Amino acid sequence: MGDNNGRRANAPETGPVRSGSPRKGTHVRALTCILTLSLVCLASTAPAIAQEGHPLKGSWIGTWGPSQNHSNDVIIIMNWDGKAITGTINPGSDEIAIKNATLNPEGWIVHLEGDAKDKSGKTITYIIDGKIENLPKKDRTVVGTWKTATENGPFKISRQ
Amino acid sequence: MKFRAVGAALTLTGLLLAVAPGMAHHEILAKFDDTKPTTLKGIVTLVDWANPHVHVFMNVSGGKELVNWAIEYESPIDLQKSGWTADSLQPGDAITVQGMAARDGSHQVWSRSTVTSAGKTVLNARAATPPPAPLSPRPTPKAPDGHPRLGSLAGADGYWAYPSATVLVQSGAKVDMDGFGLLKNVADASKVAPMQPWALGLYVNRQRRFLQDDPMYLFCKPPGGPRQFQQPYGLQFVEDRERQRIFVLLGSGNRNYRIIYNDGRGQKGQVEGDDDNPLYYGRAVGKWEGDTFVVSTTGFNEDFWFTNGGIPHTEQLKLTERFTRPDLDTLKYDLTIDDAGAFTKPWSTGWTLRWVAGEELPVHICQDNRP
Repeated sequence: MGDNNGRRANAPETGPVRSGSPRKGTHVRALTCILTLSLVCLASTAPAIAQEGHPLKGSWIGTWGPSQNHSNDVIIIMNWDGKAITGTINPGSDEIAIKNATLNPEGWIVHLEGDAKDKSGKTITYIIDGKIENLPKKDRTVVGTWKTATENGPFKISRQ
Repeated sequence: MKFRAVGAALTLTGLLLAVAPGMAHHEILAKFDDTKPTTLKGIVTLVDWANPHVHVFMNVSGGKELVNWAIEYESPIDLQKSGWTADSLQPGDAITVQGMAARDGSHQVWSRSTVTSAGKTVLNARAATPPPAPLSPRPTPKAPDGHPRLGSLAGADGYWAYPSATVLVQSGAKVDMDGFGLLKNVADASKVAPMQPWALGLYVNRQRRFLQDDPMYLFCKPPGGPRQFQQPYGLQFVEDRERQRIFVLLGSGNRNYRIIYNDGRGQKGQVEGDDDNPLYYGRAVGKWEGDTFVVSTTGFNEDFWFTNGGIPHTEQLKLTERFTRPDLDTLKYDLTIDDAGAFTKPWSTGWTLRWVAGEELPVHICQDNRP
């Protein structure tokens, strides 16, 4: 939990100090406590808000290569309509529509497929298998492998 | 001997009070571990009397060095209602704290009892109880148009609180969970609501993490959806009959508000009004059906938990809420949840709230993202 760290001051207390007889040290300690508390609380807000719905929904950026047919970087957009996971790999002129996508909550196993064309126009089917890590976090990741009939490699994307 | 007996009685009383239904704005077990009982003796260095939780800082001798601990308590509202003030403890006071330690190993403890060197138990919060029920039901207040008033009578204070249920469970299901929605037995998760497999898996994950990922707890995100009617510090309806809309004001959270339009507009977003951006409170339109105010709400975003306990939802969430006020002191809230993205079928539940007459809505703010 991001908010649980600290919230304490470590200034030593040398003896009882009543609020009715304040000393400079007390004010410094009080200020230190409040500042520490505030900073830690502010720091806890650093992570962006979570996307709390379907774990695959959203934009993802990562790496999956390089290969002779694609670069090292990959962008994936995924959506959930209540029945199917849909989306696009590398949206743009060479985008690949995601098909046969599944998410198994037993272990949060992800499977994605997509058909692309190589430079000669021949269809290449990509198969991506991975696992969601850091499920509760907005910047959760999918880590696994990608493969085609002729190539394969590691795959990792992080939700943006 | 007599002193020990009194001390034991006070300690027992403190423990009993400490295990009373939680009033905090989040699951205490999300942050603290009840399998880590901790006793601390030391000197108070600071009393931080602020929302959402009061903290007392104390120095505790830890070998050669003093270690400063943060002791967490209920909110200033709850402590004030229990007779305590910011001066009940002061820097320099010697105290003994019994409680449970933070899960992350930091120097923080949730106080189950705090006892001064004079043997006085302090800063223990009494369980919140609704006002006594009248001997006979008082008539439902009516507006000039004949419909029940959902809010206060003109010139009078009052608000709704003390929900009869603080968790969301489908009608007919019997599931044991605490007031924050934490299941006693995670194996009961599938009974709570007709969740799709992914939603059930996510719900179980949240439960196993003691609800510590709750965006309302971590980031002060609004308690959208039915959760706004299950908050510990109540809510208020402000009926703007001239402009045909009802504001729902919350006594907690980030003091945000929800608007329910009852001017006949359809369930369609309007630019600069209830536009199509997914919202924490969605787009709500209501109409009177006899003495029942029926509200349809869509357009929710997915950046919050719509229930205590963490049942997931999607942007497809549609709520149908039915408000009735059978007498002055009772608000009946019935709800149908329809979200084809998260559930296998629509499901329903409901509860009641009590009218707190003559009081203004408490101000309990999770300000500055303080946990």
